[in-house]
Amino acid sequence: MKRFSVVGLLISAIVLSVIALFLYDPYLLYSRYFEYTGVPAYQAAPNSKPKPDIGQVTVCDEQYPEWRKKYKIGGVDIQASDACNPDNPFEVAAFVRGTNNVIMPVLMQTQLSDDAVVKTNDIDGDGDPDDIVIRIEIAELNGRSPDDEEFVPGFEIAPGIRPGAWVFAPKSRGMATVNREDLTANHLLRLPSAPIRVEEGDNVTLILENTHYFPHTVHLHGVDHTYENNDGVPQTSEKMTMPGEQHVYKIKPRHAGTMMYHCHVQVQVHFMMGLQGFFIVEENKPNNWVQTFNVGAGKVRKPSVGVMEDYAQEYDLHYQAIDTELNNLIQTSNDPRQLAKRMNRLYDITDGTDDYFMLNGRSFPYTLRESLITVEPDQHTKLRVLNGTPETLSLHTHGHKATITAYDGVDVNPLAQVTRDVYALSAAQRVDLDLYTKDDGLHSYGEGAWLLHDHAERAITNNGIAPGGNVSQIVYRKYLNKHAMPNGQGEDVSAYFNPDYYTGDIPSWTLADTFGFFDDVSGRSVETYKDVLLLIVLGMLLGVLFLLFNSLYSFLHGIAVKLKDRSSS
Amino acid sequence: MRLALIILVLSIFSFNSQASMRMGEWGMVMNENLDNLPQGCNKISGEESITVKAGKEYAKEFPGTIFGYSQHEFNFPKCTRVNVTFVNEDDIRHQFMIHGLPTYLHPQGMFHMELYGRGEVNGVFITPNTERTYLAHCDVAQHMEKGMKAQVLVGGGNGDLPSVPGVSGQLNRDFYELDTGIQNIILIVILLLLGFSSSVFFFIWNKK
Repeated sequence: MKRFSVVGLLISAIVLSVIALFLYDPYLLYSRYFEYTGVPAYQAAPNSKPKPDIGQVTVCDEQYPEWRKKYKIGGVDIQASDACNPDNPFEVAAFVRGTNNVIMPVLMQTQLSDDAVVKTNDIDGDGDPDDIVIRIEIAELNGRSPDDEEFVPGFEIAPGIRPGAWVFAPKSRGMATVNREDLTANHLLRLPSAPIRVEEGDNVTLILENTHYFPHTVHLHGVDHTYENNDGVPQTSEKMTMPGEQHVYKIKPRHAGTMMYHCHVQVQVHFMMGLQGFFIVEENKPNNWVQTFNVGAGKVRKPSVGVMEDYAQEYDLHYQAIDTELNNLIQTSNDPRQLAKRMNRLYDITDGTDDYFMLNGRSFPYTLRESLITVEPDQHTKLRVLNGTPETLSLHTHGHKATITAYDGVDVNPLAQVTRDVYALSAAQRVDLDLYTKDDGLHSYGEGAWLLHDHAERAITNNGIAPGGNVSQIVYRKYLNKHAMPNGQGEDVSAYFNPDYYTGDIPSWTLADTFGFFDDVSGRSVETYKDVLLLIVLGMLLGVLFLLFNSLYSFLHGIAVKLKDRSSS
Repeated sequence: MRLALIILVLSIFSFNSQASMRMGEWGMVMNENLDNLPQGCNKISGEESITVKAGKEYAKEFPGTIFGYSQHEFNFPKCTRVNVTFVNEDDIRHQFMIHGLPTYLHPQGMFHMELYGRGEVNGVFITPNTERTYLAHCDVAQHMEKGMKAQVLVGGGNGDLPSVPGVSGQLNRDFYELDTGIQNIILIVILLLLGFSSSVFFFIWNKK
């Protein structure tokens, strides 16, 4: 092969590089270049990319809009609900009366097992049952399937976002999914773990039926309970409840208030996976049939007698956070032994960062569908707030200053009650709020659709993209449309319902910005003679480099041949 | 109020029209078929009885599962009446649910037995006049994934379903690390050497 002059090649490479740089931007070669030639000619920046097609999005995926109305089922007065997908009123009736006390046709409208909530014996003769048996199961959401890439049973916290989770759910019957084709979880299996309500002084038997593949317990945080076999702590009070087993917790709470329950096995994992929920002890009152479960939290459609004395309505607000590094582990294997190792020993919560922030199991925009607090003017609304995140919750109400009436289930002395607009809740803390919609410039600034969110700014995003997180609203009912969605005066929210928004593929202001000032920039294309020349020069440079490598190879080859000859001779 | 009443009445009606539904605090049996002939069957050609036991006990045989059935494959001839005795040996809910059956006999194509806890129940269905493999499973969240999956082969069936314990493999496979035990390592080294030397030998032999 003919040798090329290495020196000639090196010189050509340097010359070509200089020419390429000059063609790309002379300023890089010599910063005062334009002082001699005058300023460069105008070259238009690339155009904006075409606006992404948001497509047809479903803002409210209503299935049973008729359930929003007031109902009276089995003698139970069930309040109206403004949620896009309200609670099934038949289920509410079954929770209030007990699954043993409703007629079969009502039970058939639910997906509860016959023994989910058994209420018997009015011991104190005050018109309500006092022996209460509650059965809860543990369900996995967005778990792995050995047959398919899809997660089962599916649960979306926001468009396209399906982190793994575990929840306590009322004992149900039938399929976990909608059917064999639609693998979405049935409505009872969802985040957050269902809030439980009992009455002060009830003989409550809480039965944990461990339908999950890991051991679990129930710790009744803040609820009056005896210690032995009842505290839910594997290191101290009891053995863990293994898969397929059950554990019976017997309590007779003497103190009313907003408490919680959670699993106490590997708490840094199980609590964060979602095994945490409200446990509310209502004051003992005559004829006080309490709504044992409030599936999905949010509006309590049958508030207790005690609450109704002071309030027109009641909402449970459960805040949670998810670190996908932990929660999505259950999507990495179907083998529980591998999962146990990855979750308990390899995952390190001290290195964890939260990615998703949920109010009542959903992140914005899905909070619009079911987590709105809808109010009328001059109304007292009771809000029970639970901070299930590992950080401080700085809950902020726009347009309102609510009054803190209780901390951790203990009433605040009325003289010492504080009215404010940021409510700080440390981890696992509960706060009861009195949201008073009197337009006096203090309690309320007037009617509207006012935001309600954690003011720790990461919590208003879905993995860093806003608006998302636990943002919800306090909406005066005149600002609600017929689909139970707030009629905002602001921007079109439909882009947020497209899953591409939260993968970062849709510009944040795309619908507001008709001209495209803030749309994505398209790439630079070959337009001027300079671009053409630049590419040709770069091609030449590549050729020279290729020849250089070639000569390097022949050089090394020559040495090898010489060495071989020498050794053989 | 009136709507609630209408729904109530309607639900009673639908409840009654679904004659094959038994339900109680023990569990339920839904869409049972005792004597309706499937299309293409002239008569019931035979009777079979099986007992399906469910519980964590039956997972021990299959590493990586938590729940299981006493048997994960069932073979029946066509047009046969099958008496299923379903036994739940755990203190939680389990199901034995067969999918894909003719919808004119079983709404949603489903024959469903469920026990809310420890216990036993009987149910009957008639195999269709087809050669098909039907899915049987427990649809409590993640129970099928963790081992409660079986297949019912009618008339020999038409192949296996995936990830049936002891029968077939996973489509979405789990990844396992290498066993670093000395025996396994030696075996791996020997096999690699075998491959290496055979290819080297092949080239040398080719050159000569």
